[in-house]
Amino acid sequence: MSVFPYPEISKEELEELHQLVQPVEKFFNEDVDSKKIDHEAVIPPETLNGLKELGLFGIQVPEEYGGLGLSNTMYARLGEITSLDGAIAVTLAAHQAIGLKGILIAGNDAQKAKYLPKLATGEHIAAFCLTEPGSGSDAASIQTRATLTEDGKHFLLNGTKFWISNGGWADIMTVFARTEVVDKDGQKKDKITAFIVERAFGGVTSGKPEDKLGIRGSNTCEITFEDTKVPIENVIGEVGGGFKVAMNILNNGRFSMGSAGAGMIKRLIELTSEYAGTRKQFNRSLSEFGMIQDKFATMALNAFVMESMAYLTAGMMDRPGVPDCSLEAAMVKVFSSEGSWTCVSEALQVLGGLGFTKNYPYERYLRDCRILQIFEGTNEILRMYIALTGMQYAGKILTGKIKEMKKGNVGVVFEILGKKLKDLVVKTVDFGLTGKDGVVHPSLTESAKMFEQNAAHFGSTVESLLYRYGKTIVDEQLVLKKVADVLINLYAMTAVLSRTSRSISIGLRSHDHEVLLTNTFCKDAHFKNNFLLTQLQKKDNDANIKKIAQEVLAKRAYVCSHPLDRTF
Amino acid sequence: MNAPRHLLRIQCIGYVARFLGKPVQRVILPAGAHLQTPGSQHNYGQLLRPFHCSAVCSTSRPSQTQLEKTVEDETLNKDKRLVTHDDLFERAARDSKTKADFNRVVDVFSKKDIRRRGHVEFIYAALKKMPEFGVERDLTVYNKLLDVFPKEVLVPRNFIQRMFNHYPRQQECGVQLLEQMEIYGLMPNVETKVLLAQIFGEKSHPMRKYQRIMYWFPKFKHANPFPVPHVLPSDPVELARFSLTRIADDLDAKISIYQYPSTDITEPGEEVMRPHIVGIQSPDQRSLLAKHNPCRPVFVEGPFPLWLRKTCVHYYLLRADPIPPEEKVEEEFDLEMIGPEQSLFYPQRVELDLERDMGDDFSFSVDDVEEGPVYAMCMAGQGDQATLSQWISGLQETCPILGQIPTVFRLDSGPRELQTSSGAQQTRAGG
Repeated sequence: MSVFPYPEISKEELEELHQLVQPVEKFFNEDVDSKKIDHEAVIPPETLNGLKELGLFGIQVPEEYGGLGLSNTMYARLGEITSLDGAIAVTLAAHQAIGLKGILIAGNDAQKAKYLPKLATGEHIAAFCLTEPGSGSDAASIQTRATLTEDGKHFLLNGTKFWISNGGWADIMTVFARTEVVDKDGQKKDKITAFIVERAFGGVTSGKPEDKLGIRGSNTCEITFEDTKVPIENVIGEVGGGFKVAMNILNNGRFSMGSAGAGMIKRLIELTSEYAGTRKQFNRSLSEFGMIQDKFATMALNAFVMESMAYLTAGMMDRPGVPDCSLEAAMVKVFSSEGSWTCVSEALQVLGGLGFTKNYPYERYLRDCRILQIFEGTNEILRMYIALTGMQYAGKILTGKIKEMKKGNVGVVFEILGKKLKDLVVKTVDFGLTGKDGVVHPSLTESAKMFEQNAAHFGSTVESLLYRYGKTIVDEQLVLKKVADVLINLYAMTAVLSRTSRSISIGLRSHDHEVLLTNTFCKDAHFKNNFLLTQLQKKDNDANIKKIAQEVLAKRAYVCSHPLDRTF
Repeated sequence: MNAPRHLLRIQCIGYVARFLGKPVQRVILPAGAHLQTPGSQHNYGQLLRPFHCSAVCSTSRPSQTQLEKTVEDETLNKDKRLVTHDDLFERAARDSKTKADFNRVVDVFSKKDIRRRGHVEFIYAALKKMPEFGVERDLTVYNKLLDVFPKEVLVPRNFIQRMFNHYPRQQECGVQLLEQMEIYGLMPNVETKVLLAQIFGEKSHPMRKYQRIMYWFPKFKHANPFPVPHVLPSDPVELARFSLTRIADDLDAKISIYQYPSTDITEPGEEVMRPHIVGIQSPDQRSLLAKHNPCRPVFVEGPFPLWLRKTCVHYYLLRADPIPPEEKVEEEFDLEMIGPEQSLFYPQRVELDLERDMGDDFSFSVDDVEEGPVYAMCMAGQGDQATLSQWISGLQETCPILGQIPTVFRLDSGPRELQTSSGAQQTRAGG
């Protein structure tokens, strides 16, 4: 799985995509009234019908079942447009990226033939039911139970699910519940199973929609199952195999957040630059002031990096076979959610007080953006995932060497000392990215060198971390957070280097601007990485942070006396 | 703040007197403050304010009380008996001992003699009697007592006096007064400082002691992270609630009052005293108890004393012995839920064969002693098995597993009721 060259789609596919994109853009620009949707907290049926007619309810469903049968890359491209309205984007994503994905990737042919056609046209809406009041990020503590009936033909489902997008309208739900499984040793164990549950089965009640800060048009509510009869044909995969299904579904949908964020930021740049160009203060237009220019540069950089990462990941996922891109997708999600939040905030700032009012869409975009850091795996959880997956992989390779070091083998110690001395004296690292046979274009040599340096430094830091903590690194969340941040930056640098190299090589329009963006981003990321890596080598505030947190949480209040207090 | 202003005025007058070089005859100052020559006698009947009193003393003369008559008799009779100042206090309050009585005695002494003969012994006696009158924590009383010292007489006036510990007994007495304030943890205020400056001067031992108190006391005021208030609740249920939350120190722990103190009259007409039972348990303890193995017993132990300043209360524990290492059951991790490759969000365990490095290994601690779990605590009016069984049955409502676990009562023959240190009649009933 290589990141160079940047994945691309064929000319015919690109033409097809253009055909699809145009009507969708037209629809969103003309027929979608985002302000009204946000104000009334409901998507009007005409809009939903329009979406259904465009086929947006079954983008990735194969054509034989009535969907558009598009690849991940094209799904990402359409995501750029649907993200213009947050509520619609979330409704569509909840329906297809997670709701019916289970049937799509793990369902058998009978299930596909039965459910997918209606889901693809949007006649039935799908929802994904995993979260419960007692289990949000900790998906292993699910309490919903499914017990087999006497005749062995049905499961009785009992439990409550919470914060289910599309919960109020969904007709088909992918529900995860615990079932008792007798494993090969004869022991009875509780394992999670995935079920396709129709509202028509009975016993399914939806609560009232939650009043939310953002994405108010999307319906989010509680669903209760009371002795819902589910036939055993509706089990997705096998009984007890729900975990893998859930993991695959969740890991698959994340990458589209990158392109959605990028699309939204591009739109915001258009709106905001218009304002900055026309508004005049101190006899100059806002766009002439350095701090405003800084904001626009931030927005442009973020959009650039987000779309590079998203399409790189989508392209990798589209390769033949079923490559596991969960790590990359998680990195895209974390970067995009945080990048979108800062960019929308900055765009609002450019408008100042006007941006704060409801007359302009910025406050709506800001509110809709906040959820990006929370759903589909909170950013904290995903950072842990990114860091630990990397550690796991690195650990396997380095375990032997570290054990030798701990034993105090003289030869190994000298070797390491020698390497450290050499690193101090000679600072060049060459992984082969640049140079005669390099894959990176010569205009980007400097950035690529910085990337290589970061990667090498990161490697040695990981080694020292494993030496220090071993397998207990799972508990060191502050350390893992920094590791994850470095990894995300490295992946982002890879994505932009790859994309820009391709752009220059084939001569895309404005590729010199891309070179500029790449070099700027890489330099910034290089410095951030250096700072994080220095902190990781014992020069950080982690111990103090933990101590402060402990004292505050023990008292459950602010600890210091008031500055005006006296003792006498 | 009248004291500093008056102090300034009197100091000015003193300077004026020295400047003029002769004793000042009657000088009438604004605000009605009179001055008299040092030589004139002070008579009882006259309404002149004595020179050696501080300006804050009242000038009104109430009718002579019995006490004053007694004192007058004594001085006029000029008995040769050795009369200690303690007797004054004894006679002042035969039935009740209050702050007003104490103040009255000090007033009487102050007005008796302009030269304040025997003021040092009087102050020592007063300091000793303060706890009896219950005023040992009252700063105003100390200031009033300090007021007994004659002003400006004890201040050194030239370098020889300054060199040779001027008026050593009086300085020692002043230091002892401040020492008693320090023992009871009182912070002196600016009135104390003004009085000390007037009486002893700026560079005297009592002033130095005052300065030391003012340096250290603010630093120590908040040294105790868990201070006990001086006034404890008198209601036994409230006292039990306070002390149980103090012991538990867990913000999640919940107090339950299983029984309020009451008196019942049963059929034969006997009075049955029902003592209070107040218990405390936190959610963590509750879940630990739910996981307790029913084959092992739990013990009700007590009473253990808890001292809150001068009050001792007793509490009882519900605890179990620590599980021997061979029987410890490791919580099984369902590998599917938290294995590295099959986690839903992130791996809870990494399958690596590497251990933590020595420099970061804080697992060994000398203070960590393996102890058995404590499941709940309670305070009860009576520490007998019947009352405590009531507590256990009350606990059972929230922890049903208690019904299956054998409960062993290991009670000492301890005190049966709340004890206070004053008037402590030790009821160590034998069992």
